[in-house]
Amino acid sequence: ASAISIQLATLSEADAAVVNRIEVRGNQRVDADTVRNLTQIRTGQNITDADVDAAVTRLFATGLFSDVRANQSGGTLVVNVDENQIVSDVVFQGNSRIKNEQLQSIVQTSSRQPYNASTAQADVDAIKAAYVRTGRSDATVTVRTLPAEGNRVNVVFDINEGDRTKIDTINFVGNNAFGDGRLKEVISLRESGLFSFLQKNDIYDEDRLRADEETLRRFYFNRGYADFRIVSSVAELDPTKNAYFITITVEEGERYVYGNVNIDSTVPGIDGETLRGELKTKSGDTYSAEDVEESLVNLTNAVANSGYAFAQVTPRGDRDFTNHTISINYVIDQGPRAYVERLEIRGNTKTRDYVIRREFDVSEGDAFNQVLVQRAKKRLEGLRFFKSVNVSTAPGSEPDRVIVIVQVEEQSTGEFSIGGGYTTGGESSGPVAEIGITERNFLGRGQFVKVSAGFGEDTRSYNLSFTEPYFLGRRLAAGFDLYRTENSSSTAYDIVRNGGALRLAAPITEDLTAQVAYNYKQETFGDDQGIALRDATGNFILGPTGYIFTTCADPIAPLYTASPIINQAICDSPYSTSSVSYALTYNTLDNQQDPRNGFFAQAGQEVAGLGGDAQFIRTTGRASYFSLLSEEYDLIGQLSGGAGNVTALGDDLRVFDNFFKGQDIVRGFKYQGLGPRQNGVAIGGTNYVNASAEVTFPLPLVSRDFGFRGAAFADAGSLWGLDNIENEFGIQGEDFSLRASAGIGLIWASPFGPLRVNYAQPLAKEDFDRTQEFSFGFSSRF
Amino acid sequence: CMSSKDTDIDALALASQTEPADVLYNQGLANLEGGRLGEAAKKFEAIDKQHPYSEYARKALIMRAFASYRSGDYDEAEGSAKRYLALYPGSEDAAYAQYIIGLSYYRQMPDITRDQTDTAKAVQAMQEVVDRYPNSEYAEDARTKIRVGSDQLAGKEMQVGRYYLERREYIAAINRFKSVVDVFPKTRHVEEALARLTEAYYAMGLTQEAQAAASVLGQNFPDSPWYKDSYALLQTQGLQPSAGRGGGAGSWFSNAARRLTGASEPVTTADTAPSAIESRPPRGA
Amino acid sequence: CQTAQVYNQGYIIDEQSLSLVPVGSSREQVLLALGSPSTKATFGNEVFYYISQKRVRPVAFMQPRLVDQRVLAVYFGSNNTVERIANYGLQNGRVFDFISRTTPTGGRDQSFLGSILAATAPDGQSIVDAVSRGARGGGGVSPGR
Repeated sequence: ASAISIQLATLSEADAAVVNRIEVRGNQRVDADTVRNLTQIRTGQNITDADVDAAVTRLFATGLFSDVRANQSGGTLVVNVDENQIVSDVVFQGNSRIKNEQLQSIVQTSSRQPYNASTAQADVDAIKAAYVRTGRSDATVTVRTLPAEGNRVNVVFDINEGDRTKIDTINFVGNNAFGDGRLKEVISLRESGLFSFLQKNDIYDEDRLRADEETLRRFYFNRGYADFRIVSSVAELDPTKNAYFITITVEEGERYVYGNVNIDSTVPGIDGETLRGELKTKSGDTYSAEDVEESLVNLTNAVANSGYAFAQVTPRGDRDFTNHTISINYVIDQGPRAYVERLEIRGNTKTRDYVIRREFDVSEGDAFNQVLVQRAKKRLEGLRFFKSVNVSTAPGSEPDRVIVIVQVEEQSTGEFSIGGGYTTGGESSGPVAEIGITERNFLGRGQFVKVSAGFGEDTRSYNLSFTEPYFLGRRLAAGFDLYRTENSSSTAYDIVRNGGALRLAAPITEDLTAQVAYNYKQETFGDDQGIALRDATGNFILGPTGYIFTTCADPIAPLYTASPIINQAICDSPYSTSSVSYALTYNTLDNQQDPRNGFFAQAGQEVAGLGGDAQFIRTTGRASYFSLLSEEYDLIGQLSGGAGNVTALGDDLRVFDNFFKGQDIVRGFKYQGLGPRQNGVAIGGTNYVNASAEVTFPLPLVSRDFGFRGAAFADAGSLWGLDNIENEFGIQGEDFSLRASAGIGLIWASPFGPLRVNYAQPLAKEDFDRTQEFSFGFSSRF
Repeated sequence: CMSSKDTDIDALALASQTEPADVLYNQGLANLEGGRLGEAAKKFEAIDKQHPYSEYARKALIMRAFASYRSGDYDEAEGSAKRYLALYPGSEDAAYAQYIIGLSYYRQMPDITRDQTDTAKAVQAMQEVVDRYPNSEYAEDARTKIRVGSDQLAGKEMQVGRYYLERREYIAAINRFKSVVDVFPKTRHVEEALARLTEAYYAMGLTQEAQAAASVLGQNFPDSPWYKDSYALLQTQGLQPSAGRGGGAGSWFSNAARRLTGASEPVTTADTAPSAIESRPPRGA
Repeated sequence: CQTAQVYNQGYIIDEQSLSLVPVGSSREQVLLALGSPSTKATFGNEVFYYISQKRVRPVAFMQPRLVDQRVLAVYFGSNNTVERIANYGLQNGRVFDFISRTTPTGGRDQSFLGSILAATAPDGQSIVDAVSRGARGGGGVSPGR
């Protein structure tokens, strides 16, 4: 060991020297110790030039100093520094569209950092670019500095936002298969209009234009135009008008149909022909990229089901340019054998792990099957718990192992809503308000909880509902509802309903669901006038509205209304109904809120009689079919129908258990406006049937993004049949007679909520029916 | 034409004139004693802004991390601590800064049914305290926090394992429980993991594996309730937890038993309760 | 209509590649022919287990029922070559209830009130403010963050 130390000694003489003091000069604000600390040079060691250089670069790296010079004289190392000005505060003036926090994140210059003119300039451009993105291309930005104490400086960005840059016109060149109007409907950019300040879809942006090009391509590919391409899409800014003119030139090419379509499989044991049923692409039909994709998924799924988890399906199309056909050959071959090693779920700060994991049909150790993974992703998105769900794969610990990573981003699933509306139908017409708390992902367990209260002019309703989507670990949605409604709209008596239901919904297949429920309801009728008024001679004094008010106990039938049957039923209070109901629902609607294609059908029965006073079987059914009649004019056709029957099980049927129908089955009639009556009072019926045809279309002159749609419809239906009315009189409309009406409607998907106005003219009616040509329904929740 | 609602220039000038650093610092300390943590954090922030890179700024930065942590603003505490470590890596409070980073994550550890990223970050940060500042006063508490954090991570693996076992998806369940035995042998979950392995293998009919897992469980935790259950389960078919083929040094059973000895120092309730050192301010103050 | 859904889970058995690994073939040959095992012996890697399960879900809401299970066990001798291959079927398995007890763990759970407050006033504004801003738009993350 001694040899080494000698040799070191000679080396140190030449260029390393022992430093026993570090002197710092030129520092105004930065503390000398901090500089010494930053150089990381220890006094008492011998240091070489390299150490000094390293110290200098380290000091520069902090960005605190504009210049650093270090030299050694004898035992002391002298470090003198010129300090940079330090930014004390960064302030933005004149910005209102973009808030300070957002600007803060865009800008590099920040407090406590050294001020540097070039970064400040770069910040000016960054702010300007931000404004262009929000649609204000003529905003101007300047920067200036104000000295502050202690060699510090305040940086001020002056912004003049200018006003919104609009999109004046969007026009298309070279499109003849589809008109400009239809294509404008397809892309997301819109010409500036009355409501664009609300929807903000008239802000020009480079990537939105690119995205719209992609949507156009997909639109054409799905309608047979396999050769479609976008020649150019240009947006010129006219500074004088502060607006963009966008021109998109397209080349549609020919419309293709499928040539011959076959499946051949290189995997032994899979015979292509047997899978033909899965295909959506039949030869002769118009080519559509979507159909090909769907066929791929169906084929892969069928193949996976029959045990070939690794089989892979790839379509090969070859185009015949002369007679415009594309023949597609689905090739099934053996894909890579990969197994899922782990299913990692990340980002679930609220939703519990099993709520996400249970949506996957593929588990760890199973074959990696892209179709099952994509189906799980769709199911997770369907839960509406997450802003985004993306599923990616990472290599596993073995070459044939893969780790599936599910990254979710939670969103707020709680909603505190105050809603308002006005309806002319229903039990309580007039203004209606609703206040409620909904939580779709209660405690991260995926459970649904809703508490709400509704207030009409003279109605009150309270509701609590809870649903557990995975009851007993199975895909059974079990839940309960509790409700109370108070209704005093009729001048003579008021109704209070308290009730609850225990329900269970079970999916049979993806589209077919079965529902079973136990319901209990108790109705109490109170007559607020109550005691009969008799004058001295013993006969009755007429009440304020001309009726004689007596209580049910009185021998002569009380006269709440002009119909003895109704009055008798009112006296039968409190009246309880305890029933079991079951139904089957088949639903293939493409969109639940406003469907364009698909079929919905529901049929079920309610059997009342397990205890309680009511004893009846009520059978109901309804179905509606939606189809997009014309792509070109965006016409949506709807055919719907319904029927129902209620028969007593025990002695006789209570009148309130009848069906009460009106404008809900034939528009143009009042609430409970059609069907049997006694002395003018609706007493419902035991059977009903109804059918309706409707076409909705965008209003011709109005630009489409106002959200207006017109509707033309024709309704027909009837309510008839009564139970045990032998010794009753004054009955009308007991037998079947068809009522019909035709009308037009205006639908507005306003930013505040959906609104619908209908005008319907009854064509066939009974003279004792009540009509109401005009009806109006609006509800908004915010 | 500056609109009034923006911060106008003279207010800016007012904000940027400086008060002496030591005055601000003592005000900060006074607020701390008075329990006004938010106020104290503001005072320390003022020093950092008005006297950047001064000695007081360094002290203020670590004190701000402490005050923010105590007032529950974990993001701010973590941010200040990380900035402190970047600017003053070698200083005396660096250990405390690293400790605060670990604590900030530790306090946000969710329950095992949710994403454990914060738990993993807490364990990693505390491990750095133990590695880089082994003889600092925080190393001891850091080791406890690592044990609690790892126990939580093991708990997550067990929860997913039980999810799959319930559905009789044995591959997924077995591999999850094995990962607990391999990666977290020092947590008390290892007992349950071995018992679950016995159950899973037994349910599949691989009795030899079931016996091996039960015997390792018995070797290391003879009086654990889990061992009693596994033993009873094997008894239903008249089986004994057994060493499996041959007892030679090479056989997998003996080295497995050796690996686990000195295994779990179970996390006691004392470990999970907040320790005294957490609430003590940094030494440099 | 065909409501049943069949799931082939775990290892996909391929009969011919099974014939490529007779007794005596090396560990690499097994890995090449059969791929990496579903799981290995718990201690040491003397045994490779290739586990495959078949499940049927008769109707969408029911839980898939295990209808077939095959375990291919490849035992390696001391010189790393295949010593014995065994097959275990569903009949070897036992059905019993697993222990319900679990080892307690810590971590902050989420209270109902916490989730509601977070949902309606995520960044601390007053509830009215959140409502006026349209609670849907102003979504925030749960207090766990």
